[in-house]
Amino acid sequence: MSGPLLEVEGLKVEFDTWDGRVRVLDGVSLSVSPGETLGIVGESGCGKSMTALAVMGLVPKPAGHVTGGAIRYRGEDLVKASDGRMRDLRGNRIAMIFQEPMTSLNPVFTVGDQIAETARLHLGLSPAEARKRAVEMLRAVHIPEAERRVAEYPHQFSGGMRQRVMIAMALACEPEVLIADEPTTALDVTVQAQIFDLLEELRAAEGTAIVLITHDMGATAEMADRVVVMYAGRKVEEGPVDAILGNPAHPYTQGLLACRPNLQLGHAAARPQLHEIPGVVPPLHLLGRGCAFADRCPRAMPRCGEAFPPAYDVGESHAAACWLLEEARAA
Amino acid sequence: MSDALLDVSDLRVHFPLRRATPFAPKRTVKAVDGVSFALAKGRTFGIVGESGSGKTTTALAVMRLTEITSGAVRLGDESLSALEGEALRRARRRVQMIFQDPYSSLNPRMRAGAIVAEPMELMQVGTETECRERAQELFAQVGLRSDQLQLFPHQFSGGQRQRIGIARALATKPELVVCDEPVSALDVAIQAQILNLLVKLQEEYGLAYLFISHDLGVVQYLCDEVAVMYLGRMVEQAPREALFGNPLHPYTWALLSAVPRVGRRRRDGAARLRLEGDPPSPISPPPGCRFSSRCPYAEARCKAEEPVLREVRPGHRVACHLVREDGTAPLRPATL
Ligand SMILES: Nc1ncnc2c1ncn2[C@@H]1O[C@H](COP(=O)(O)OP(=O)(O)OP(=O)(O)O)[C@@H](O)[C@H]1O
Ligand SMILES: Nc1ncnc2c1ncn2[C@@H]1O[C@H](COP(=O)(O)OP(=O)(O)OP(=O)(O)O)[C@@H](O)[C@H]1O
Ligand code: SF4
Ligand SMILES: [Mg+2]
Ligand SMILES: [Mg+2]
Repeated sequence: MSGPLLEVEGLKVEFDTWDGRVRVLDGVSLSVSPGETLGIVGESGCGKSMTALAVMGLVPKPAGHVTGGAIRYRGEDLVKASDGRMRDLRGNRIAMIFQEPMTSLNPVFTVGDQIAETARLHLGLSPAEARKRAVEMLRAVHIPEAERRVAEYPHQFSGGMRQRVMIAMALACEPEVLIADEPTTALDVTVQAQIFDLLEELRAAEGTAIVLITHDMGATAEMADRVVVMYAGRKVEEGPVDAILGNPAHPYTQGLLACRPNLQLGHAAARPQLHEIPGVVPPLHLLGRGCAFADRCPRAMPRCGEAFPPAYDVGESHAAACWLLEEARAA
Repeated sequence: MSDALLDVSDLRVHFPLRRATPFAPKRTVKAVDGVSFALAKGRTFGIVGESGSGKTTTALAVMRLTEITSGAVRLGDESLSALEGEALRRARRRVQMIFQDPYSSLNPRMRAGAIVAEPMELMQVGTETECRERAQELFAQVGLRSDQLQLFPHQFSGGQRQRIGIARALATKPELVVCDEPVSALDVAIQAQILNLLVKLQEEYGLAYLFISHDLGVVQYLCDEVAVMYLGRMVEQAPREALFGNPLHPYTWALLSAVPRVGRRRRDGAARLRLEGDPPSPISPPPGCRFSSRCPYAEARCKAEEPVLREVRPGHRVACHLVREDGTAPLRPATL
C-alpha cells in the first residue's frame, strides 16, 4: 500500500499536576505504514507510552489533555473523533499490548472468555464461533494444549504466557495497527525471543503495521524498519534503523547506543570502556526554553540552552533536532 | 580451591511445600540443588539463568539469609554455613548485598545518611562520629553530595537510590558484595553509571562480586567467570572468554541466541536457536537432563541419565551428554 496508515502530527499532550500544567508531549510526529515496524526508544518518562495512549484515545482524564496536533488513521483525525468512534476503532482496527499484562487481563474471567468476548464484539461472531476463534488465537501465539488452557484463568499462566494471551486478544480482531508497549520487559530472554518472533510472523503474514515501544536498542535493531528517538516529550531523531544505529546524529541517540554493554559473541577481549550519559532526565515542569538534553550533553554550546533546535535533515528520511547540525551545515 | 575468598560446595536449598491434605505426598521445591563454585578476592563471578532457576536463592544462601539444606559455604578460612550467633554476626561484616529494587530495599522513614550508617551500628564498628564520617566518605565515593545525607529515599531518583544501596553495602568494608540484579530496575543510561561505579569500587577496594543478572551483555561486561543455571543446577561454568567465545551447553546457546543484538535482523530469518515453552517446575524437574524437555538436541540417553558437570577444558565445566571428552560440542550451530 502507498502512504502511512497511521500518522501523528505535532501531537501535544498536557497534564494538570501539583507543579502546574506540564507538557508531557511536545510536537511529536510519526507515521507507520502497513507491513512496517516503527520502533520508539528513549529513557523512562520521555513520553513513549503517552504517545501510544493518545493514539488509542486513552489519555487519562480529567488531568490529561490533547492540546494540539492531529492523529490520522486512514486520513480520519482521531483527536476529533467521538468516544463511540474511538471505542469502535480500539481493539478493532488499532490494538495495543500494554506494558503490564496482568493489569489488562480480568482475573475473574477465563482467558478463553476474554478473547472470545473481544472477537464477538468486534467481528460479530456467534458465541460458538467466538470460542473456536479463541482456541485458534491461543494456538497462533503458540500456547501448548490450547483446547485445555482456553478454560483457565490468567493467574494460572506464567508471565510469558500472559503476554502471549494479551497478544492473542489484540489479534483476535485482526487489527491493522498494533502498538506493543514494552511487550517483553518482565520476561526472560528466551520467552522475549518467542514474543518477537510472533510479532514478526504477524507483520509478515498479515501486513500489520507495528509500533514497537522499547528501551532496548538491540530489540529495536532486530525488529524495526524505522526508529523514533524521544527525549523529554519530544522527538529528537528519526530515521531508518540502519542510519540510526550506524550513523546516529543526535548526541542523545549516540549516548543511548554507547551506554549499553552489548553482548559480543566470540572471544571477547578485555573489558571495554562503557560510555555514560551523566545525570538524569530533567523533570518536565523544570524544562527551559532550550534543548532538553543540554545539561547532560557532552557537546552542548551556549545556544543550546537558549532555544529548542529544529529538526535538520541529515540523510534520506533521517532527521535530528540538534544545534550541532546547523553548525555542521554552516561550516 | 584454597586461595578462594568464597567457596561454595554442593549447596542445596530445598523448600518444603505445604501439603494440600495430611496424606498428600510430601513435595519440595529444589530451588538450588547441588551448586559449587569458587570466587577469588577482587574478582567477579556471574550467575545467569531464567527466572526461577535459583539465582536469588543461591545468593541468599551465601548471605545466610535463607536456610541451607546441605552443602558448605566458606568465606576465606571461616565456614559461613556452620557459624551461629555472635561468630556469624562477626563474619557477616565481610559479606554485604545489593538488591535489585532500590525502592523497596531502603527504609522510607530513614534519612539517607542514617541508612548508610546503620550496618556499622548494627555490627558495632566504630563510634558514632566515626560512623557519620564514614557515611560522608561513602556518599562521596558513590557519587552523592554530602548535603543529600539528610534527605529521605523518596527524594532521590532510582539511580541515586541504588547508589545509597551500594554505599550502605560498603559501610562495613566487606570483602565480598553479593549483587542481585543491581541494575535491572534502572534505565539504560543509569545502568551504565552504576556499572561503571561498581567497576571503580572494585578496583579501589579489591572487592569480590557475586553478580546475578539475567542480562548477558551486562554479565559479559562485568564478570571474570560465569555460571549458567537451569532449574537449580549449573549447566555450564567457564571463564568469560570461554563462555562467550566457546559456549558448550545447548541451553547456553539458546540464551545467547535469544539476546536481541545490533547487527542482526529478525526478518532476514537470522539463524537462531529457538526454545519452545517455559522452564518446567522445579518441584518435578524432568528425569535425566533437566533441560531435556526443551533441548532441541535431546537424545534417548538425555531423558534417562542425568549428565554430570565435568571439566572439559581448564576451568570450563559443562553438564551435557553431547559434549565430547576433548571439550568440543559438534552440534553447536555455526551462528548463534
Ligand atoms: N497521570 C499523569 N499525570 C501527570 N503526569 C503524567 C501522568 N502520566 C504520565 N505522566 C508523565 O508523562 C511523562 C511521559 O510518561 P510515559 O508513561 O509516556 O513515559 P514512557 O516513555 O512510557 O516511560 P517508561 O519507559 O517508564 O514506560 C512522564 O514524565 C510522566 O511523569
Ligand atoms: N521461600 C520459598 N518457598 C518456596 N519456594 C521458593 C521460595 N523462594 C524461592 N522459591 C522457588 O525457588 C525457585 C528459585 O527461585 P529464585 O528466586 O532463586 O529464582 P531466580 O533465579 O532468582 O529467579 P528470578 O530471575 O525470577 O529472580 C523458584 O521456583 C521459586 O518459586
Ligand atoms: S544432555 Fe541432552 S538434553 Fe541435556 S542439554 Fe545436552 S543434549 Fe540437551
Ligand atoms: Mg511506558
Ligand atoms: Mg531472583
